[in-house]
Amino acid sequence: MNPTPPASGGIAGHGAFFQPTDLAPEDARKATAWVEKVIDKRSVELGGRMDDVREHMFELEREGEIIVHRITDAHKPVVARTLFGWEKKIPTAQLWHHKSCGQCGNIPGYPTSLLWTMNELGMKPGLDYLDETDQTSCTAWNYHGSGIGNVESLAAVFLRNFHQAYVSGHKLGHPPGHFYPLVHCGTSFGNYKEVRKYLVENATLRERVKKILGKLGRLVDGKLVLPEEVVHYSDWVHVMRNDIVTKLQKIDVSKLRVTVHMACHYYKMVHEDAIYDPEVLGGNRAATGTGVAQALGAQIIDYSTWYDCCGFGFRHIISEREFTRSFTIDRKIKVAREEANADVMLGIDTGCITTMDKNQWIGKAHEQEYSLPIMADIQFAALACGADPLKIVQLQWHASPCEELVEKMGISWSDAKKKFEAYLQEVKAGRIEYLYDPKLADSMSRAA
Amino acid sequence: MATYAEMQEIFDDIRRDFRYEHELNGCLNCGICTATCPSAQFYDYSPREIVQLLWTENVEQVYDAMQEKIWACAQCMTCAARCPFKNSPGGLVSIMREVAIKHGMQSAKDVLRPFGRVMLKLITTGNQLSPDMIQPDHFPDWGPNIQKVEGDLKILRKAIPMKTLQTTDTAWEVSLKTSVEMYTIWEDTGVLQQLEMMDENLFDVIEDFIEEKREEYEEWVEEQEEAKADAD
Repeated sequence: MNPTPPASGGIAGHGAFFQPTDLAPEDARKATAWVEKVIDKRSVELGGRMDDVREHMFELEREGEIIVHRITDAHKPVVARTLFGWEKKIPTAQLWHHKSCGQCGNIPGYPTSLLWTMNELGMKPGLDYLDETDQTSCTAWNYHGSGIGNVESLAAVFLRNFHQAYVSGHKLGHPPGHFYPLVHCGTSFGNYKEVRKYLVENATLRERVKKILGKLGRLVDGKLVLPEEVVHYSDWVHVMRNDIVTKLQKIDVSKLRVTVHMACHYYKMVHEDAIYDPEVLGGNRAATGTGVAQALGAQIIDYSTWYDCCGFGFRHIISEREFTRSFTIDRKIKVAREEANADVMLGIDTGCITTMDKNQWIGKAHEQEYSLPIMADIQFAALACGADPLKIVQLQWHASPCEELVEKMGISWSDAKKKFEAYLQEVKAGRIEYLYDPKLADSMSRAA
Repeated sequence: MATYAEMQEIFDDIRRDFRYEHELNGCLNCGICTATCPSAQFYDYSPREIVQLLWTENVEQVYDAMQEKIWACAQCMTCAARCPFKNSPGGLVSIMREVAIKHGMQSAKDVLRPFGRVMLKLITTGNQLSPDMIQPDHFPDWGPNIQKVEGDLKILRKAIPMKTLQTTDTAWEVSLKTSVEMYTIWEDTGVLQQLEMMDENLFDVIEDFIEEKREEYEEWVEEQEEAKADAD
């Protein structure tokens, strides 16, 4: 290269120093081949330089300090690739449903669609999954919203819940570790991964929470129990997507234009753990949620504000609602409608779906009349597999126009609604239908 | 207004948090964090500014930012995912919020006021919200079509085909034993002290509730033991 930059010119806006090489195409290819060989987009930034916390965790286990709740062959794991191409084992059986307070309180069709899908795939309640009452919220929504709480309380809650998952099979005659925790909430997922990292790295924190867990009788052989992987339900849906399609799909969704909102706490917290797939949006965006919609045959529509958050804000949805609704309308709903002409926005998390679902009507106040059905990936998948839109997918709790999407799928909303209203009379008479034997839920016969 | 010594103490508390070293690694003022920050679009808030104030150890301005700015952060962590230095401005804000509570700052008290119901629910049941908190009259801005089927909340919840979800005052049924275990966690990690500092009335209500639930649990355990002894 000429050491003296020319006085003017340059390429691609990079300034005069940069000049065309005038190499023949073949020579140009050779000259840059080493770059393509060495620099893979999954390893260029951090892969080689970032510590894998799991290695340190296994080291602590070897030193006898902790027990790692392992994903064994019995959990029928499927390996997925994360941001830097690292492997992550996703258990597909023997799962302990770690519920989300926002989903259960506000979007109950989220967990019911998940359990319905598992049943349809032949999974047996009490053997292949467990839903029980001995669990609490991760408490991280409150922490991110108010600042009340601390690393120690978050860690103790994490370890208490995950210990319960580890021992939960006992009452059904299963060995320790039979059920593996499947985390429903995106914030719980991000928070637990972050806290696990702190626990592995910080002996003082381990020592302090160990005292508390000991007091609660939540140690195994005097040791803390940490999970080999923190697994989000959307990870499970992603690795099961081909089974869902081949074994269960009944409705053609190829005419539907689908946008996906990715939960920030799924892929922006401990980002090295989020699943990416070269076949989903070119591997440039986290794959869960989108992967299942793509496998079902829907048209995946990318949009310019994909990376933006939904506006939930933790405290904002309660006490700064002007921010929440403005952001979600301006940066999500409006863009999905105007730019992507979407039929639906799928989410993979609690707060995002609540925010985008509930904050559309208020747009009328500023002549921003955008409306778009909002639901979870698994609700969309369950609909495509023939689940009842009200009884199972529980879309009656949504404020956004989900009935429009249901009709586009060829399902009569009015018929389904009539059927459901008739079912409510059965419920009043005590004839309730369940996805599993209700006795399985009882950890103890008294509720708080 | 705090004295310089008090502001220094607050700053030292922020720096003493073991996460501080994780979250702050340097800063070239590139502003990628602020460019991607949702709150920066709506508030006088910039994650870049927060990082700079801490990095340059600007004790007085850090204190000033804790009055209002830190509460604008939406905690989405987009800044952390973007920062070339692997800083986490959102994580630093978390630490600053905790310290604001520890020092009983008025800004924290103001922010926490609307959180009373969530705090009460969380501390007493281990759930953060419940179906009876999300009724249309609490959220008029969600519009008239908040639900697509009218009916009694209890019946609608019973029509959810999962036993654990057929509740109205918690998101799912939490066993009493679980809640009692949570109370120990709150006590032993200083969360109840944080609450007392922020809202004494709320703390009193929660303390009474916890006492009552513990007694209920102890009675239940005794009943079980007696039943077992009778059976033997």
